[in-house]
Amino acid sequence: MNTATAKRTALPFSILVAAAAIFAAPLVVAFLTSLKSPSEITRVIALPNELFFQNYAIAYERMGRSFLNSIAITVPSVILSLLVGAISGYPLAYMRGAGGRVVYLFLLTGMLVPFQIVQIPLFFLIRAIGLYDTIPGMWLVHTAYSVPFCTFFMRNFFASVPRSMYEAALIDGCSPAAYFWRLLLPASGSGLAALAIIQSRAIWNDLLFAITLTTSDEARPVTVTIAGFASSLQVEYGPLMAATLISLLPVMLAYLLFQKAFVRGLLGGAGK
Amino acid sequence: MPNFQLMRRKFQTEGVTHAVFLSLPVTLFAVFYVYPIVSTFNLSLHSWDGFSPSPKYVGLQNYVVLLHQSRFFHALLNNISWLVFLLLGPTSLGLLLAALLDRGMKGESVFRVIFFLPFTIPAVAVAAIWRWMYEPTNGLLTTVMRSVGLGGLAQNWLGDPSIVNFALMGSMMWWTTGFAFLVFFAGLRNIPVEYIEAARIEGATPWQVFWKVSFPLLWPSTIVVLGMAAVDAMRLFDIVWAMTNGGPAYASEVLATQMYDTAFGRFEMGRASAISVYLLVIAGVIIMPYIYQLAKRVQDSEAE
Repeated sequence: MNTATAKRTALPFSILVAAAAIFAAPLVVAFLTSLKSPSEITRVIALPNELFFQNYAIAYERMGRSFLNSIAITVPSVILSLLVGAISGYPLAYMRGAGGRVVYLFLLTGMLVPFQIVQIPLFFLIRAIGLYDTIPGMWLVHTAYSVPFCTFFMRNFFASVPRSMYEAALIDGCSPAAYFWRLLLPASGSGLAALAIIQSRAIWNDLLFAITLTTSDEARPVTVTIAGFASSLQVEYGPLMAATLISLLPVMLAYLLFQKAFVRGLLGGAGK
Repeated sequence: MPNFQLMRRKFQTEGVTHAVFLSLPVTLFAVFYVYPIVSTFNLSLHSWDGFSPSPKYVGLQNYVVLLHQSRFFHALLNNISWLVFLLLGPTSLGLLLAALLDRGMKGESVFRVIFFLPFTIPAVAVAAIWRWMYEPTNGLLTTVMRSVGLGGLAQNWLGDPSIVNFALMGSMMWWTTGFAFLVFFAGLRNIPVEYIEAARIEGATPWQVFWKVSFPLLWPSTIVVLGMAAVDAMRLFDIVWAMTNGGPAYASEVLATQMYDTAFGRFEMGRASAISVYLLVIAGVIIMPYIYQLAKRVQDSEAE
């Protein structure tokens, strides 16, 4: 890099460094707080004198169960929502004529619906079918409310696969269903991976459906536990920050590991 | 030699296969979107506590009563402020950061990760972290202000009704800018280098290159970011509920948190349903053109 370029990038670079410091500060402070004993907690900026891992033990005791619930809710829900998205995106990507367009627009409108409009009837519906406060109930709900976005995403992904492949397969005697299961789906790994990350974030981070439809330790995911923890009268920030960091770790790691797939998916499904 | 008769049969079974495939998502949509929405409309015309066997029909009373409540208008106004803020704030900061980073900057991947990471965090975790940042006596914000001699300006960030909304927006900015940043960053990467080079050779300044060449070509990314911002503004619930529960004194309430409180705190199911119908109508008016655009844009690309 020559001096002229260095000069030209000096200002943008220092702005970026300042912005990065501000963006990183809350997480750094949260991490330091999670390692401080109650007597040190008020010294926000300082490093802890000694590492106080007891906060993590307290956090685990209070939220360990709900952390497992979150895993038990998220993994199957993501798989199911991907499957339904693919099943729904496939015909919509290949159908000609107004029928497909109407169904597609109809399903897409779900993306604008504020979930408050379904909240009360959903509560009574889930109770009536005996799935209130159960993990399978959460699978069903997350899968159903993912239909619009997953359809949108998978339809766009499938539409980018050349149609000639489909027609050639049909001429070779492959049925439309067999084409989907044997050829299209196995070749869609990159799209499915990107959607899986987006869906993991949405489902792991969900609060609204969880507070509406779960109530006991048996089914309550980690988001509800943290919210309860944070709003108790005497907030102990040490254990709370430890719990918070544990709760955000899985999705953050997934993003760090699969960054490339995510960016590609973002462009394939949402940008262009 | 392909078997033409068999081929025709295959294309006929195509329609049947498509219908079978679509039946599952359409059923889910009917049961979990259409039925509850219709049911909420119906409930909004009744007075019901959620327990008694038969809801009482009250006509449009719930809608009329809400129009006379300042609490309702205050929440509605907050939603509109959030809409304006989310369209402008994280969008412009994300665009700025993406534009600054888009030129092979040193440490590019580190910056990218730092700006994007907050977006992966659950809303409740954002709320927990920022309640600690905003803690009035020992929180990071107050501590930093005190250490640079501005301690006198420190506030009870989440406890003062005139400040609380700005405090919430600050944490929202931290949370969602990463999404706008990444979409713009990826969008900038997709612009052919030749366009930029050509403009530079013509003697355009970096400023002109950005606004005259890059920005117009970023339109697809901009549409995505603005659309998501509008949807988020209408759905906004988690961060407010987890940080302030709508308080102090309803100051930070939005329609979604007010609806939750009315339904599951006060058990006025009819009134709460009317709030959510208002919310749906507003969201529909604001976002439907965008959804229509999305559906249409994909058809355009198909026609190419």
